[in-house]
Amino acid sequence: MESSDAATVALPAPVPLRRRHPWLGELSRFGGGMLFLAIPLCLFGVFVFYPLVKSVYLGFFVSDPFGHGQEFVGFDQYREVLTSPDFRKSLGVTVLFALYTVPTGMILGLVFALLANQRLRGALFFRTVFSSTIAASVAVAAVMWLMLLNPSAGIVNWVLGQFDLPRVNWLTDPQWRQSWDSGPALMAVSLTTIWLNIGFTTLVLLAALQNIPQELYESARVDGASPWSLLRHITLPMLSPALLFVVIVASINAFQSFGQIHILTRGGPLDATNVIVYSIYTDAFINFEYGAAAVRAVALFVLVLAFTLVQFRFLAGKVFYR
Amino acid sequence: MSLVTFDNVSKFFGEVVAVKDFSLEIHDREFIVLLGPSGCGKSTALRIVAGLELPTKGNILIKDRVVNDVEPKRRDVAMVFQNYALYPHMSVYDNIAFGLRMRGLNRREIDRLVKEAAQNLGLLELLRRKPGELSGGQRQRVALGRAIVRRPVVYLMDEPLSNLDAKLRVQTRAELIKMHRQLQTTFIYVTHDQVEAMTMGDRIAILEQGLLQQVGPPQEVYDRPANIFVAGFIGSPAMNLFPARLESRDGDLFAESEVGSFRLDAQQVRGAMDASDGEAVVGFRPEHLYLGAEGGRPVSATIDSVVDLVEYLGNETHVTFSRSDSTLVARLDARVKLKPGETVPLTVLVENLHLFDRASGRRLG
Repeated sequence: MESSDAATVALPAPVPLRRRHPWLGELSRFGGGMLFLAIPLCLFGVFVFYPLVKSVYLGFFVSDPFGHGQEFVGFDQYREVLTSPDFRKSLGVTVLFALYTVPTGMILGLVFALLANQRLRGALFFRTVFSSTIAASVAVAAVMWLMLLNPSAGIVNWVLGQFDLPRVNWLTDPQWRQSWDSGPALMAVSLTTIWLNIGFTTLVLLAALQNIPQELYESARVDGASPWSLLRHITLPMLSPALLFVVIVASINAFQSFGQIHILTRGGPLDATNVIVYSIYTDAFINFEYGAAAVRAVALFVLVLAFTLVQFRFLAGKVFYR
Repeated sequence: MSLVTFDNVSKFFGEVVAVKDFSLEIHDREFIVLLGPSGCGKSTALRIVAGLELPTKGNILIKDRVVNDVEPKRRDVAMVFQNYALYPHMSVYDNIAFGLRMRGLNRREIDRLVKEAAQNLGLLELLRRKPGELSGGQRQRVALGRAIVRRPVVYLMDEPLSNLDAKLRVQTRAELIKMHRQLQTTFIYVTHDQVEAMTMGDRIAILEQGLLQQVGPPQEVYDRPANIFVAGFIGSPAMNLFPARLESRDGDLFAESEVGSFRLDAQQVRGAMDASDGEAVVGFRPEHLYLGAEGGRPVSATIDSVVDLVEYLGNETHVTFSRSDSTLVARLDARVKLKPGETVPLTVLVENLHLFDRASGRRLG
């Protein structure tokens, strides 16, 4: 090898690469990356990270009516607020509200999407109708339901009357019965929320349904599947990513609902619809107790985070991604 | 006994005619190929057997029973789709087992059948995988496995090889032929590939624009195409076809075309009587063009042609000639040396001449 080297024509010496400090290249690449990240980081920083940190911080203070931390109390305020009966009540209401709205909304959305996906005359009309609530604002929806649920003039009670059922004071009755925790008020707010979310749910699920290759159904039909088996073995598994998405979005929506509660019940009657978000609003902007409101906000954050993680953990395994 | 019968079946999609007045009897254990260009209605015909499409008119019979209104699952058919239609969320095992589960077999029986099918197709190692983790050829095997495991009365295959690369296609083709022999069951196989049709089919049914053109064994379809469409569709390079006028001269009948005048034999003369207005089309296959004189056998025509293009393929040579404004293609021996521009005499034998009616396209004689 070496002897043959001597015989070959001398090649020009390789031009040495300009040497730089090894970390200089790394640094410039990092800088380039940061440049791309700058805008989202700024936005998240201003609207998410700063308020989050500030909330945690505010929780350590008893504040003045202008929202400035006044007196440092450490974890005392956290302990006090989180163990108070009204926080526990609002936590219960929040969870109940989520349980009312999320599964019902998802099942209804799925049914609507399945119906709208049929190749029938007028399917397009129903697709539009089913997804139209996506275009309604919370305020409009709430005012509409306020009228529908009006105890004397509302259509809901009129319909109940037609079936000889007792009229219900939808928005002012805290309990169905003495001993029960929930009542018509929470039901009414849930109904409005489900109505509001159904358009989005239907739209997402309909889009996902239309992405399922028709051949899978044909193959399964030849394989001997009944309509029920098609739903169970083809449709639902193929929809699972969309269903998980819908459940998580609907859950977060449920935990953060405010507008419809504000318009319909203002958290009442007797705190029956006082979900955590609404109690934050009351604490901060009615009672001017910013510290206590901050504690509730942090609690809600932890709750939503935990809920979402749990959903991912237990549902993600059942989800099939193509 | 015929196993599957198309009795005057038509299928319209709105204004579009997919299949028209289609009648065909498919015998038990037969491997029949529905062949035609895309959009000819062959897939629709197959889907009508599966029950995935309902015939607009006519009846479809399986084992002499009209099944027009019978659901796919009650027809005892298995289908292999062009894109395989594997259930992407299920493992290979579950894909193969699906049809058995739907039919309520017990778990042990399912396990035995799935493993047996997987063994036959070399899928044992892959049973736990999802279709997304398989190669195209492996997916194709799973699709076959899913069909085989059910042991139906008829297998329906909708272009099952068209998504495979050339080498794998040839290999799988051979395996399918063996599979048919082992299973001793009826196969209805749809393809646009004439090589698949010729090599696999006991009989070939050729469709064009929803109409059945010809049914017969590969050899018959190739040697005696029933009409101009079949003549041009089967065979590669395609048959040389030229419009011609039938004229009688010196007691012989000739087909006068732009490339030359072809002498007809007695049988063709008899057939030619049916030609409307004496307008015909003559045809001869590229392998039936001989360089120079072909001794001993009756010659139909000798055509002096100019070499246009020489394509050497190793085992043979395809040569394109021009004569007047027409083009002729010949399949010649690989050792033939021809140069573009050279003029050579080409011989067509009477026995190799095909004659068709120009108006109807039908074969004459």
